[in-house]
Amino acid sequence: MSEEKKIELLMKVIDDVATESELLEFEQLAAADAKLNDEYIAMKRMKEVTDSMRFKEMPDSFWEGYWNGIYNNLERGIGWTLVTIAAALLSSFGLFHVFKDFFLDGNISILVRLGVGIGSLGVLVLLWSILREVLFARKRERYKEIER
Amino acid sequence: MVTKGILSSYKELTDPQLAELMQRGDMKAFEVLVERYRQKAFYLALGLVGDADEAADVSQEAFIRVYRAAKRFDTSEDFFGWFYVILSNLARNRIKKRQVRAAHVRQEQADTDAIRHRQSRSNPDLLLEADETKKLVWEAIERLPYNFREIIILRHFEELPYGEIAGLLDIPIGSVMSRLYYARLKLKTILETANE
Repeated sequence: MSEEKKIELLMKVIDDVATESELLEFEQLAAADAKLNDEYIAMKRMKEVTDSMRFKEMPDSFWEGYWNGIYNNLERGIGWTLVTIAAALLSSFGLFHVFKDFFLDGNISILVRLGVGIGSLGVLVLLWSILREVLFARKRERYKEIER
Repeated sequence: MVTKGILSSYKELTDPQLAELMQRGDMKAFEVLVERYRQKAFYLALGLVGDADEAADVSQEAFIRVYRAAKRFDTSEDFFGWFYVILSNLARNRIKKRQVRAAHVRQEQADTDAIRHRQSRSNPDLLLEADETKKLVWEAIERLPYNFREIIILRHFEELPYGEIAGLLDIPIGSVMSRLYYARLKLKTILETANE
């Protein structure tokens, strides 16, 4: 009998889901295989202990607050999303005007304007690069979690 | 009164019907799904993360993610199966973060302090009528790698049949039995080492 079949039989017997014939087959195998018999005794004992283990019941107040916890979190999530969108819109508007005024100001040297423009472009490229790396890492991490 | 009436009529709906309503943004349908599965979700999370506060966080976060991703759910699939994948991934991440924190502590503190910290994570007080043997077994379960611990919780604590475990973990029944075997073998080794 293959090792895989033996394991399946052992698990079925321990979990009390083996048929009459499987039980008989296991008894014969265990009688001839001391290692299998030892594993059966130890695992059956562990199963008996865990079968009698139960988690403590949570108080009613815990369940009463459970839904509120979820609802409040969802509500706050919506609030934060709206605040973030508003902040992004307002800062884009503000930055656009600051840069427009700065670049169209003839009193500022063209070299300074060029320097600030190139510098700003560099900052944008750096930010984009970091953002892309973070998003890429998160995507890869998510795949790592799924061990199927 | 009216809300209670609506809720009780929603309670008669099946999971796919509630999931469809939830996809249309129906909060009451979502509330009924939460009420239907909150206990199962919490106790599963408790078994996986071993801490009541963290289990509440993880299970509530899983429900929030379900609501946010409702539109992506295929209503012909099993709702709890989909929910469980989210819950399990959150629990796994929580444990991973805890291990990273413990590793930092180990680097910063002396060995004895680190051992004390690691031991403090084990919480046999969660168990009802926990005698010495049960405490020992629970501590051993907490030391199992995540995949082994998960299958022990599903089979020993939730008492799910092989077929249901196979559905939740998306693996064949043969793999459920083999994973269960290696998990029990590892548990046996941990207990034997603890007894020496």
